[in-house]
Amino acid sequence: MATKVNTEGILMFEQPFAKVPYENYRKAFRTSQRNIERDFTPVQNTANELLANAKRGSLNAQDAISSIEGMIGKVESLKRKLSDLQETSARPTQDVIRERLQHLSSMESVSSTSSPEFARWADTRLDRWLVDWCLRNGKENTAKKISKQKDIATLVDIDLFTDIRRIEDALLRHSCTEALAWCTENKSALRKIKSTLEFDLRLQEYIELSRVRKAPEAIAYSRKYLLPWQETHLAQVQQASALLAYPPTTSCGPYKRLYDPSRWYNLVRAFRAAVYNLNSLPTDPLLHLALYAGLASLKLPACYCHSTKNVDCPVCDGEAWGSSQSLGKLAQEVPFSHHANSTIVCRISGKIMDADNMPMAFPDGNVYSREALEEMAAKNGGVVTCPRLGTTCEFAALRKVFIS
Amino acid sequence: MDAALKELAKLEKLTSSKGKSQTIDDSLESLLQSLHEIKEQVQAGDVHEETFQQLSQTIENKKKEVDDRQKEIHASVTRLGKTLDKKFPSSLPAYNNLFASPDSHASLERTIALHFLRTGQFEIAECFLEESEIVIPPTLKAQFVDLYQILKALKNQEIQPALAWTKQNRQFLQSRSSPLEFYLHRSQYIRLLLASHPPDPRPALIYAREMLRPFYPEHETEFKRLISCVAYLPLRRLQQSPYADLTSTALHFDLEPLFAKEYCASLGMSRQVPLRVVGDIGGGGALARIEKGRKVMRERKSEWSQTDELPIEIPLPPENRYHSIFACPVSKEQSSESNPPMMLYCGHVITKDSLQKMGKTGNHTSSKVKCPYCPTESVLSSVVRVYF
Repeated sequence: MATKVNTEGILMFEQPFAKVPYENYRKAFRTSQRNIERDFTPVQNTANELLANAKRGSLNAQDAISSIEGMIGKVESLKRKLSDLQETSARPTQDVIRERLQHLSSMESVSSTSSPEFARWADTRLDRWLVDWCLRNGKENTAKKISKQKDIATLVDIDLFTDIRRIEDALLRHSCTEALAWCTENKSALRKIKSTLEFDLRLQEYIELSRVRKAPEAIAYSRKYLLPWQETHLAQVQQASALLAYPPTTSCGPYKRLYDPSRWYNLVRAFRAAVYNLNSLPTDPLLHLALYAGLASLKLPACYCHSTKNVDCPVCDGEAWGSSQSLGKLAQEVPFSHHANSTIVCRISGKIMDADNMPMAFPDGNVYSREALEEMAAKNGGVVTCPRLGTTCEFAALRKVFIS
Repeated sequence: MDAALKELAKLEKLTSSKGKSQTIDDSLESLLQSLHEIKEQVQAGDVHEETFQQLSQTIENKKKEVDDRQKEIHASVTRLGKTLDKKFPSSLPAYNNLFASPDSHASLERTIALHFLRTGQFEIAECFLEESEIVIPPTLKAQFVDLYQILKALKNQEIQPALAWTKQNRQFLQSRSSPLEFYLHRSQYIRLLLASHPPDPRPALIYAREMLRPFYPEHETEFKRLISCVAYLPLRRLQQSPYADLTSTALHFDLEPLFAKEYCASLGMSRQVPLRVVGDIGGGGALARIEKGRKVMRERKSEWSQTDELPIEIPLPPENRYHSIFACPVSKEQSSESNPPMMLYCGHVITKDSLQKMGKTGNHTSSKVKCPYCPTESVLSSVVRVYF
């Protein structure tokens, strides 16, 4: 029966759900590692210096005390930083991972899709998808409201998207600073996925210097930030050097394109692709993917034929307020479903007809389920009426239909 | 999920300050102590080489302790990551620019807004409408508010608002042969019947005479049961009687979903919440199947066109079958307007194309076709087109 919970199919959607907090935790761990390295090294150095001075006999007590006090300060500050990090970032992130895994585990233990537990779980999942969709489409207030009213703050990634939004907004204001800072934070991960985002951002900063005709600054910038990329991006680095010879008003194709402000939109897209990739977020909103698959499973030519429309069908739905302004419109973008077997649905009761509830045909060929027609006949003294054409006949005049 | 939860528990234990083993915080604390001690020694005038030798050694030791601890944590984090990778092996597919056109985007916004209204989340709906460009007619919004007020009243055992609505829409309900109005009265009748102690059925019977009797023709059996059950009062006896089902609370609670269904139908809307239905199907295995089919097709190097038809069948639960599908048992093709299903004299159905291929003598109305499934022969003129 199709009502068994398809755990594998459901979990397909949940990779980002589990991975985002995991990546956050790794980030917190890396920060702690960085702090340890940064604060321990000077302490070690000072200790070695003191030892060297003591060996030479050139150490005076006053200097030694102030050095030791400096070390105490460093260690205290490291201790404080690490415990702050643990309290405000690492531990809460662990809690988020735990809650999410438990949330998924609660779904795994449900046996049937018709149980109220599954209905509640699916409600929450739809809320999560809607939050994801709202965040990706600039509707932060709605996202926050859903998260708060449904009490699902740990199950959605509002902070991550707020951060993405902040950096994207900066790019749209023609500022690379925020995005470059993000690149530095995620340097090794970006290298692993062979992202060239950092080079693209650097190139853009260089272009902006060239645009305002600050040649010396541009050359210095290029030497510092573009040359390191020449192994992989030689052609682009060379082209950038030549750019200084062309004013922003140039009509020369390749250089005109470099000056084109629409490059900023490409940067937003490139940044988004990189940040989604690092967090295992799909490029499409989760809701889109679910709707694509769901609509394709349901879509039939019958949905688009006036006489066979069914108000309960989500693909046909929406006609009451003018044509295709809701899911039916989206269904136009997806393929039709495929069927190798017949399923005959009664137009009166909505039930599927089979050997226990045979299809019966009126003399003019309209078919309904036996159950529905028997009920009708019982109420009307053995006479049945076709709801489509209004023809009436005795129940006995109906013919059994065999669908093999 | 258990494996991942276990790894997480290990990590939590490793990083918690409550554990038995020494944490980084402990190491730093002990380092601080040593530093303070040495500071006191120096203040007391001790500036010997050994003191600083010892200091340097302590720092190195503590650094090593901290590093070891970090390594342990790192290993634990990596193990958790591997477990997650195993549990969630495939990343989601990318469909470029899906639903990206302005029209599709607006349709989706509209769908979402209606979803919020339909599920009674009015505050969220308001917020959403402020953040989007679509407009929902105020009358439609008001209808949903109305629906939720009636549902709220039903929950509080007030059926008057619901009855007022059914009265206005009686014709519509009758055309659907909906039992809603009768069920509302039935709920009220049962409440009256069970409200008095010791039982006094008179108010309930007066109510039945006035309100339930008009439904006698359509609900004869149920009407009789409702009146007969009085003989089994009080409640305790009734619960042991053949009428026990009438004491079930479902009789009252089921009114809410039934009312919502009829109300939505009157607005030309589906009985289930469409976004949930489609999302549950798509997120309940359909995407996985589609992707699998796509992968197989790719391996066979025969891409299927996106807009055409899925290469595989997605099983649907019976409640999500909204249309009849007739696949011809002879040709395996789906019937269509140009190739409709035809019923032979014996009641077996095949498509018109298959029928024509079998009737070799052409379209003579007197020529005969043998049914591919039983020995019966049908005269072509006796074959009728059927409409599912």
